[in-house]
Amino acid sequence: MHPGRQLGVLGLVFVVLYLLVFFAAGAEGSWKQRLEPKLGLDLIGGTQATYIASQQGAPPSPEDMELAREIIESRVNALGVSEAEVVIQGNNTIVVSLAGKAEEQLKGLEQAANMRFRLLTGLTGDVASVALNPPSPTPSASASGSAAPAPSTSGSAAPKATGSAKPSATPSTGGQGGGAAAPGPSVAPSGSPSVKPSATPSASASAAAPAPASADVKEQREAIKKKVGADAWAAAEKLTAPVDLSTDTKAGLPFKPFSTLTGPEVAALSPQMQFNIPTIGCQQLNARPNGSIDAVDSEVVACFQGVYKVMLDKAEVVGDDIDEASPQLDTTQNQWVVSLDFKSEGQKKWAALTKKAFEAKATDPCFVAVSSMYSDAEHCAVAVVLDKEIVSAPQIQAVLTGQSQITGDFNATSAKKLADQLNFGAIPVTFDAGPAQTVSATVGGQQLEAGLLAAAIGLGLVAIYAFFYYRMLGLVIFLSLGLSALLTFGALVFLGRSIGFTLTLAGIVGFIVSLGVAADSFVIYFERLKDEIHEGRSPRSAVPRAWHRARRTIISANAITIMCAVVLYIVSIGQVQGLAFALGLSTVLDLLVVFLFRHPIMTLLASTQAFLSPRVSGLGRALRRSQTEESVSSRVKEA
Amino acid sequence: MAGSGFATRLYQGEANINIVGRRRMWFTIAAALVAIAIGSFAINRFHLGIEFAGGSEFSVPGQVAGQTFEQERIYEAVRTAVHDVEPDAQVNAAQEVGNGSEINYKIRTSELSASEMAEAKTALAADLGVEATQISDQQVSSAWGGAVIEKALLGLIIFLVLVTAYLVVRFEWRMAVAALASLLFDLLFTAGVYSLVQFELTPYTVIGFLTILGYSLYDVVVVFDKVQENTRGITAGSSRTYGEATNLAVNQTLMRSLNTGLVALLPVGGVLFIGAGLLGAGTLKDLGLVLFVGMGIGVLSSILFAAPVLSALKDREPKIKAHNARVLARRAQRSDDVARGERSRPANVTESDEVSVLAGTTTPRPGARPVQKRGGTNRPGTKRR
Repeated sequence: MHPGRQLGVLGLVFVVLYLLVFFAAGAEGSWKQRLEPKLGLDLIGGTQATYIASQQGAPPSPEDMELAREIIESRVNALGVSEAEVVIQGNNTIVVSLAGKAEEQLKGLEQAANMRFRLLTGLTGDVASVALNPPSPTPSASASGSAAPAPSTSGSAAPKATGSAKPSATPSTGGQGGGAAAPGPSVAPSGSPSVKPSATPSASASAAAPAPASADVKEQREAIKKKVGADAWAAAEKLTAPVDLSTDTKAGLPFKPFSTLTGPEVAALSPQMQFNIPTIGCQQLNARPNGSIDAVDSEVVACFQGVYKVMLDKAEVVGDDIDEASPQLDTTQNQWVVSLDFKSEGQKKWAALTKKAFEAKATDPCFVAVSSMYSDAEHCAVAVVLDKEIVSAPQIQAVLTGQSQITGDFNATSAKKLADQLNFGAIPVTFDAGPAQTVSATVGGQQLEAGLLAAAIGLGLVAIYAFFYYRMLGLVIFLSLGLSALLTFGALVFLGRSIGFTLTLAGIVGFIVSLGVAADSFVIYFERLKDEIHEGRSPRSAVPRAWHRARRTIISANAITIMCAVVLYIVSIGQVQGLAFALGLSTVLDLLVVFLFRHPIMTLLASTQAFLSPRVSGLGRALRRSQTEESVSSRVKEA
Repeated sequence: MAGSGFATRLYQGEANINIVGRRRMWFTIAAALVAIAIGSFAINRFHLGIEFAGGSEFSVPGQVAGQTFEQERIYEAVRTAVHDVEPDAQVNAAQEVGNGSEINYKIRTSELSASEMAEAKTALAADLGVEATQISDQQVSSAWGGAVIEKALLGLIIFLVLVTAYLVVRFEWRMAVAALASLLFDLLFTAGVYSLVQFELTPYTVIGFLTILGYSLYDVVVVFDKVQENTRGITAGSSRTYGEATNLAVNQTLMRSLNTGLVALLPVGGVLFIGAGLLGAGTLKDLGLVLFVGMGIGVLSSILFAAPVLSALKDREPKIKAHNARVLARRAQRSDDVARGERSRPANVTESDEVSVLAGTTTPRPGARPVQKRGGTNRPGTKRR
């Protein structure tokens, strides 16, 4: 390739990079602001939040605490290549620090890690809004206006797409599905014969509560009773199935007071009441405190896809039983699935649970519930519940005795997310988030300046040495290093904005080291050149030969560095990943400069007269040496 | 012309320092150093930093009863108080948390016992003139839990496997083994220095350690590349043993190695100088130190350790063994020529051990280059006669 063309390519790379720096990936503000790389926590400080962990009210054991720390850490690291600091403080607090303004990113990290697998046994729509504001004129209005498919269609109107698009369409499904066959008496029996309510539909709320209500809960329920009024309470207690609004749109009105209950108050109600009372909606269910549906041995009510209220059986399998979950691409179907491995005990429980779901008959409540959601349901569904959220409710396609797969409409991201959630679910710890606060740099302000000063000194020393030893070729080295520095800087700014790569002090020192490695590829080349000239070649013919040989060495040597960077980047986490990224980046840029700048420049130089002059090129002794062997009058400083 | 002559020859890549021939010596030194390092791991272990071992944390309000404290003031106060109870404790820089009147300063120190912490807290409160209750103290865990280290180690192992495969393909298995031996030596040596001197092991040290990894191999590859070039088709001729050819390659890249070492160590030296000299303890010092030690030994070991290991391995290869024997036999035949003083510069011969003597006899005049340099198959040994 012609030297001019190579320089042209380099110019193009340069222009594109700096266009990206100034105009892409959310560049905004003044020119100066657009040139700011994203600095790490250690250099400019950032945002800090605390998470208090608890395990059923008590501080977790040190082992679980460490696991919890790792969960939080991997969640933070999943945000990008920013280097977070996650430490345990005292016996139950986890402190997370992130570079820069990161309040948004720190949200949601505390999501509890309680995972439960529960058979889905009942389903009704979130009809709170309809129940509160019945479409007054005629039932037909409701049917046409919102709950169109309601009256009779059994499953056809069901699929979630319509449900989620039009929340108002769900009451139909819920009302009809629930009213027709499901909840009431049959909620419990299928899954847990021991639960009483089925036998006594009118049993009092406390009796209906699967777990014996503690004194505390009783007190709360008394308070709620006062709040909603005795009439509403009594009516609610009498419910054995979700109120069917499709036949009487005003049926929800007696329960109006329940819509004023807060999350904690709703949590105190029995699952049956939460499920049956039409005026309790997803909003209230989601406002229940963390951990309120964690109890393994009771039924619970949860929200699904924001539009369904579902009744869930006791948790027969819990997160602890999972060995590992991972996202996988099923190549035969070309779709993403989440593969699940259970521990040996867990596997038995899982097999039992899936057997129950798989072999359910069409009349079983769980089957009725599923078919009111999916028209083509064949088997019961098991809900995967993480904290208060149903992350997935797959239908069970077989009795699963070995590795299991959850299929569905996954893409790479959602499959990974579910797998992560499943993995996190293995730790039974809940978190309460504290406020986010700003923190200053961890290593002290002067270290950044000192680091930059060190870089400048390093560059200066290398330059002095290069000029002394290679004379004018030192200029080539100096220019190349400058060019590398500019490219690196541009890449840092751009990558900082686009993928959140943060520059830490370690990164700066890494780049200083790469300065030496970059300069070394020159040393290799120039020493080769010296050899060639020494052998009596003219500089013009020596340059391509030396290039050819040095290129091989440089590529072999840099390949190793890149390999190191790639492996560490893929495998490791946290700061090590950041280092690997910096290492790889600087090596690739070094190669770029070597090929697109130094080589063409040397080719051009070799054809100039000045290059032949020993005084200028620094190859003087090699030249003279090759001509007359005796007259060596070298100075020895560089030895 | 001894002094300037040596410098010139070094510059020309003809210093003819017998490195490979003295491999026993290098191996002995290396073995001794490794033994010391391992011994030190067993006895001294490592001095783990707060980030690994966990520690204690003091939290001091920035504003108390009308008083406002500067970051520096609080840091100094904590440092003094902590050092009074535990002189060896590490005290990290103060970190500001929150803003406005809510501001707090957090300072992490090495792990202190409950009584030490109470004592330091009392002294600190007295120093700053605040109530002891306003200063809170807690234990903090390591920021670098097992997972980070585990994953880094996993990465290291995968990298070593891959790089071995790469070196086997690119060079040959003996070179791969020699390169890995040299890498291992570098890492053990550096870790040994850390253990022996009880420098504190921080995350930055580990990061520096991983950086050395790439650099050390890089350096070895450059040397081996030259060795491979010099020994290509060596068995076809009978002028040099493998060891001598390797030695020549080492000598030819010596200037490169020294240059590289200097060029790479200059900036790192800058970091170390600034970090340790101007700032005292801190991240820059940690990084500068581990890099300086590791890269320094990397340059040395690529010359003094990797090449000798390679030649020792190669000498066991049957083909090379036969070749070496042929070269020596041939040389014995011609020793008469040497005795007659055909050589004008017997100076090198004075370094008398086996290979050196032999190297001397074949050492071409300054200016001679290895055979392959001209790309041909002509051999200097025969050509010169």
